[in-house]
Amino acid sequence: MTATRTALDPITVEVIGSAFSSLVEEMGTSLIRASYSTNIKERRDCSTIVFDAQGRTLAQAEHIPIHLGSLMGLVEEILRRYDLDEIDPGDMFIGNDAYTGGGTHLPDIVVLSPVFFDGEIVGFVSNLSHHADFVDRGHAHIYQEGLRIPPVKIFDRGELREDILEFILLNCQVPRERLGDLRAQFAANRLGVRRMQRLCERYGAETVKQAGGALLDYAERQTRAGIARIPDGTYRFTDTFDCEGLGQQELEFQVAITVTGDEIQLDFTGNPPQVRAGLNMVWTALLATCYYAVKIVVDPTILPNAGMYRPIHVSAEPDSILNCSEPAAINGRTQTCQRVVDLILGALAQAVPERVIAACTGSNSGITFSGVDPRTGEYYSYLETIGGGFGARATKDGLDGVQTHVTNTSNLPVESLEQEYPILVERYELASGTGGSGRQRGGMAIRRSVRVQGHQAAFGGSTSRRLSSPWGLEGGLSGGRARIVLDRPDGSHYEDTGIPTLLEDGDVITIQTAGSGGYGSPSERAAEQVRLDVEDEVITAEQAREDYGL
Amino acid sequence: MTVSIGIDTGGTFTDVCIFDAEGRLTIYKLPSTPDDPSIAILDGARQGFAAAGVTPEETGYFGHGTTVATNTLLEGRGARTGVITTAGFRDLLEIGRQERPDLYDLQVEKPPVLVRRRDRLEVAERLTYNGTVEQPLDIDAVREAVRLLVERGVEAIAVCFLYSYLYPEHEQQALEIIGQESPGVYPSISHQVLAEFREYERLSTTVVNAGVGPVMAGYVTRLKEQVQALGVPVEPYITQSNGGLISLDVARELPVRTVLSGPAAGVAGARSVAAAAGLENVITFDMGGTSTDVSLISEGAVQIGIDSKVAGYPIRAPMIDINTVGAGGGSIAWIDSGGHLKVGPRSAGAVPGPAGYGLGGTEATVTDANLALGILNREHLLGGRMAVAAGAADAAIERLAGELGLDPMAVADGILSIVSVNMGRAIRVISIERGYDPRDFTLVAFGGAGPLHAARLARELEIPQVLVPTVPGALCALGLLLSDLRADFSQTLTRPATPDALDAILHGYSQLEAEASAWLDHERVEQERRRLRRIADIRYIGQNYELPIDVPGGDLGEQTLAGILEAFHAEHDRSYGFSAPGEPAQFVTIRVEAVGLVPTPEFPEIEPGVGTPEPETTRAVHLASEGRTVEVPVYQRETLLAGQHFDGPAVVEQMDSTTLVLDGQRVEIDRYGNLLIRDERS
Repeated sequence: MTATRTALDPITVEVIGSAFSSLVEEMGTSLIRASYSTNIKERRDCSTIVFDAQGRTLAQAEHIPIHLGSLMGLVEEILRRYDLDEIDPGDMFIGNDAYTGGGTHLPDIVVLSPVFFDGEIVGFVSNLSHHADFVDRGHAHIYQEGLRIPPVKIFDRGELREDILEFILLNCQVPRERLGDLRAQFAANRLGVRRMQRLCERYGAETVKQAGGALLDYAERQTRAGIARIPDGTYRFTDTFDCEGLGQQELEFQVAITVTGDEIQLDFTGNPPQVRAGLNMVWTALLATCYYAVKIVVDPTILPNAGMYRPIHVSAEPDSILNCSEPAAINGRTQTCQRVVDLILGALAQAVPERVIAACTGSNSGITFSGVDPRTGEYYSYLETIGGGFGARATKDGLDGVQTHVTNTSNLPVESLEQEYPILVERYELASGTGGSGRQRGGMAIRRSVRVQGHQAAFGGSTSRRLSSPWGLEGGLSGGRARIVLDRPDGSHYEDTGIPTLLEDGDVITIQTAGSGGYGSPSERAAEQVRLDVEDEVITAEQAREDYGL
Repeated sequence: MTVSIGIDTGGTFTDVCIFDAEGRLTIYKLPSTPDDPSIAILDGARQGFAAAGVTPEETGYFGHGTTVATNTLLEGRGARTGVITTAGFRDLLEIGRQERPDLYDLQVEKPPVLVRRRDRLEVAERLTYNGTVEQPLDIDAVREAVRLLVERGVEAIAVCFLYSYLYPEHEQQALEIIGQESPGVYPSISHQVLAEFREYERLSTTVVNAGVGPVMAGYVTRLKEQVQALGVPVEPYITQSNGGLISLDVARELPVRTVLSGPAAGVAGARSVAAAAGLENVITFDMGGTSTDVSLISEGAVQIGIDSKVAGYPIRAPMIDINTVGAGGGSIAWIDSGGHLKVGPRSAGAVPGPAGYGLGGTEATVTDANLALGILNREHLLGGRMAVAAGAADAAIERLAGELGLDPMAVADGILSIVSVNMGRAIRVISIERGYDPRDFTLVAFGGAGPLHAARLARELEIPQVLVPTVPGALCALGLLLSDLRADFSQTLTRPATPDALDAILHGYSQLEAEASAWLDHERVEQERRRLRRIADIRYIGQNYELPIDVPGGDLGEQTLAGILEAFHAEHDRSYGFSAPGEPAQFVTIRVEAVGLVPTPEFPEIEPGVGTPEPETTRAVHLASEGRTVEVPVYQRETLLAGQHFDGPAVVEQMDSTTLVLDGQRVEIDRYGNLLIRDERS
């Protein structure tokens, strides 16, 4: 049996690696199934992770790639703030603050537990849930965005610190949901601790530790092997960024990527200073985004652990929108993250065009409604993010109406959300003609119309690619842009930043996200395929004529 | 008692199992005929009857397991289908839950949409969350949509309106119109297929039902005629995903219920074998050539899940909670870019097969590892019917070992370790993740490769006991003789779990029970063989997933409600590690499970014996625990007698499988001939 082997061969490492994956998956299942709020249960806006004693990621079950930024941030913060002798078995930490608590935005609340074995810390387990709270806020700076929780103990040697919990819940808009979700988070961590301890009992703490180290080396080798297949050179790309928080202003983003052998350097020097809007990214958010983008290009099967980070070097000026400092607001940082991925892909398209894809929807388009439900008299907060086009590939069309890049939250069933919130969904469909034309067509965007029912609702909408289009590659055309509009029962119509923040009974908000870019010249697309696309109203007759010449 | 016959059509083999009037069991195995499965079914039946020395006319019961619906879906051969849906939602089928199937793979594809966008038509109508009509159904639009779809040549029409489970009238009107306009088209109506909330899953299930409907209808009609022509006086029953059987009529109307039935009969077989052996808590482990199915039985009850995906399509229907892993005896071992040894999911299949089969395969498979280690017979398999090329297996393993810089025996053993860990993960999902501790269970190992890996897997998960049935290779066919008729009826009925709601809940159950009784009447089940069970899906208000809780029959009072809620809190605690008794809960979906008990044959007992049996021979097996090659006794399964016992390491050979017993394990043969393997170390 493996336990009796003395040398740590690749097979034992594989076996223990599988156990780490199993551990975080089990935590994730438990977390999702036991949570209260729709955002976690239905939309799976949560992740789990296990670290070694040094805080290096050993395995993660991420549903949302950007969560890595918050998870890796908290353990670093705790190891900086606490001496090891201040941490006891049964302790659990909580945090969300981007500048002291390791978070990337305040709704993502992270809990972290040390794992003790034979009196020593052998690792940490942690999980994150996006709590649909702290809504209807300002975003000039972080103080407007919600409660900031520094890394504090929520459990002290197994005892729940009720005062801390009460303090947090008092600052939440929907405390009942928060409590249910937090309980699920606590339970998931306790499960992770038990599993990790079992693993140490089984194989011995030293073997587990060595296997962890070997797994990091392994991921590093995989990553280096992938990077080495990219031709050496420096590749630059620029793009423009827009979002409601910036009004009609467009910012110029840029990157310079240098590949040298099996290492890659991503340099974001020269990007705009941080902005007075919730669109700034903290350092760990930038790192998580870069790790995601490198992984999808070099090898999607790389083991999700810290070994992968080693050959990836990132630089960005402090106080910039991509590497912000206190008190910059950060709530909508995924809008920016999505465009950082596009930037990286745009640059690498010059080196390995067949391995990247055209620009995706380029946004984490979201709408939030909050208010008092007239049916129950209780306060509600409803958040939904909406997918869009997934860029065309060298040999395949893009995907229609999906979440892209750093996010992958699912939608809420209409039959669930209308029961829970005083909202009615009028339409939910793919937006014809929004996929960029090309030999391979870009994916279509989503259009969703929702009506406010019998009450006043505070509304917030956020999307990017309103002012620029998701670009195509190798002659492919760009996809359709995003827009949010309001139609009132009296026939009046509002768009974009002109939409009032308070909605009335019968108001209909329609959000159409951006599509995505095409790949290759449209003239190379098979005529039969164009005909089918017209029949299915995927493209318009006009596109068929003008872009495809049919 | 009359003759019972079970015929299971698998991907490779069609298995026939017959119990005659004296309780004698006959097993017959022949190659499947995928192009027309009925050829093997009829041949198998004919030859099975002959082998058992009975005539078709004596048949009192005919159970059939088929993968017609599954294969139709997997191979994309479903009927051309149109969809009629609520205005504004024609793309729901395509958007689904808007997730992409893989986080990091840029080349990933979604499964092809089963209905083209052009053939998904919207009609004006809208219901609200409480079942009231916001906008009445536009009858003319439905008529026009049906005509258009028929004109385009669809063979099936799926109808799914929002909230139809609360107010089915709109869908019923659409069904009538389909009947009037085109009686030849196969209708699939969402509230009939699944009267539950979550519109995408309901729509997807309804569309799958539509797509496989015409194919299944044709299959069932032919089967009925052919079985009749053979002289069998009864109609066959078909297995469904929940492990129960349904009549051909129901299979024709709700074929989606059979989509996941493939592994279900095996679970039923394992359950009965275990029950006869006095075991109520078992984990089933069915390992074949390309995949492995595991499931859990607690206190004699098969665990039923609701949500699943087949070929990427969500299907919501009561089904045995089976976890499938894409790894079996034919899975290929390989080295990835980081230098790690991986096993599967690629399989050598039947052609070229494992290197050791000598059919041209050169890549090392799990079977090759078993051959190289000497666990499998290095001369021949299948009771001598198949020669083995052990040298080719060794060469394949040595090639891998060379690349890894490890000893070939260590690599062969490593392959088995990795398989064991992967299987262990699959079992954790259906046990630990559902709040069950595998250490409280017995592992029932079957399928061609199950008994080969069970001892090791049990040790991996600290499962204290393994049971290997007498016919591990034909347990599915046996299971067909041991399954009951079963149907599930459900209705989403969201109400707070308070005394005020009990009238509505009771009324809901009465309706479902009336439907269930009508079904049992239709199936001509005698009164004393009927079983009705009430279940309620309950959650805390604000949660979005429910837990199924048993509800007592008869009237519902405050006392019963208190009992139901107590059970809910306890189940929540067991499943998730906490409960909140102070928090309000709600009913979401109520269910009635109707069972018609089928008279099940008794298992034959084997001849008794004493002491330790004589091994047939010995064989050199490389044992990882010893780090060396050891001469291990090899027993022939047929020669083992009830009450005998022996210690591992040992190998037990039989025609359809090989069982490995590890050092430190002891085998006992029970009175039915099952091998019971226990770890003496723990």
